[in-house]
Amino acid sequence: MAVSKPDSGSHKQSQQPVFILHTYPFKETSLVVEMFSQEFGRIAAVAKGARRPLSAMRGMLQSFQQLAGTWSGKNELKTLHDLEWMTGLTLLRGDALMCGFYMNELLLRLLPRDDAHAQLFEYYAQTVQTLSTLQQMPDSQQLAQIMRRFELKMLQELGYAVPLTYDEHGEVIHANESYRFEADYGACAPSATRHGVLMQGSTLLDMARGDYSNVVTQAQSKQLMRYLLQHYLGEKPLHTRQLLVDLQGF
Amino acid sequence: MNSPAVLEQLISALRCLPGVGPKSSTRMAYHLLQRDRQGAQLLAASLQQALDKLAHCDYCNNFSEHAVCSVCQDTARDKTALCVVEMPTDLMMLENTRSYHGQYFVLMGKLSPMDGIGPKDIHLDKLLKRAQDGTVNEVILATNFTSEGEATAHYIGQMLKSRGIQVSRIARGLPMGGEIEYVDSGTLSTALLERKAVT
Ligand SMILES: [Zn+2]
Repeated sequence: MAVSKPDSGSHKQSQQPVFILHTYPFKETSLVVEMFSQEFGRIAAVAKGARRPLSAMRGMLQSFQQLAGTWSGKNELKTLHDLEWMTGLTLLRGDALMCGFYMNELLLRLLPRDDAHAQLFEYYAQTVQTLSTLQQMPDSQQLAQIMRRFELKMLQELGYAVPLTYDEHGEVIHANESYRFEADYGACAPSATRHGVLMQGSTLLDMARGDYSNVVTQAQSKQLMRYLLQHYLGEKPLHTRQLLVDLQGF
Repeated sequence: MNSPAVLEQLISALRCLPGVGPKSSTRMAYHLLQRDRQGAQLLAASLQQALDKLAHCDYCNNFSEHAVCSVCQDTARDKTALCVVEMPTDLMMLENTRSYHGQYFVLMGKLSPMDGIGPKDIHLDKLLKRAQDGTVNEVILATNFTSEGEATAHYIGQMLKSRGIQVSRIARGLPMGGEIEYVDSGTLSTALLERKAVT
């Protein structure tokens, strides 16, 4: 990460709704805090002295918890002055917690800095809330569906077109036909391209409706989202996905 | 303005310490060479000695001069309880309580999904073997109450439970002598959420 000098001069923003995505050590006792804010999108700010044992900020630097953040500065790296408790406790556990890390990694990788995405923020907050209300051992399909919805919403909100109801020529998708879904083009006739993912029209229509009850839809939507994310993320793999693969080995 | 190459090398070597930038490392180098040569001598010797002699204890994975460390060798300790901590400093804090007399396992880290720190980096294979020695009957998870610490506890807990081992997690809540008026909202919320029945 390119680090410019933190600037605490002007442009103070007070009590903004934020989620913490990640923190990195910065200098001897500080942290760089990557936040997702409702009004300003992704913000990076230095929390001075936050690594000191008795820092007041230290206990507040919690992911998956909506907080009210106050920062200032107009450069890329801002100065974080304060974080406060904002809503009730949202505690993620177990596999739901891993889903939380996965969403944070996606946002860190795909969300540009200082670019507002209020609706995505809203959806993220909602998803965290949903994850926190799941019982101790949710079934994996329940979590998978929550992630599919988030992935799709994120790509759409970030401006990557994922047309699900019409094909590349603007014709409506038919449930019983097969298509090849190619990034940046959409659904094509299987013979039209060698790229992308082969799928049923019904999967695309189900995804458009947010209905993941069908087993074929579950499997094909997973393949499609994985392909699209890889396309937009580039070569570097997702750490959170690799971690789950590694844990399977034990 | 060119410094001798040997000095440059020392300054850049000191930068391997966490949080030490070019300014601090220059200051440290001049301090050691000018003001405290004896301290520098001791530092160099201690560092070499630690590198030569310290390894990880076969049982608890903590740093040790011997294959089995003094805590694990202590026959007076309870062999049936195994407490899992992230770092050696956590073990020290638990020892200071003088309330725990079982065994330990030091992960030397935590799962850190966002940074790509996975199960191989925290010696899970060694822990699984240790916990299944036939004598341990309870594993106590004492990782931090951060999201990484929670993820670490969750996955270790799952793995051990699926192998038939009893697992518990240390409790959290108000600090000793804690007054509700002065406690932070997060701690108070979890204390409420994880309340227990009055018996
Ligand atoms: Zn030992």
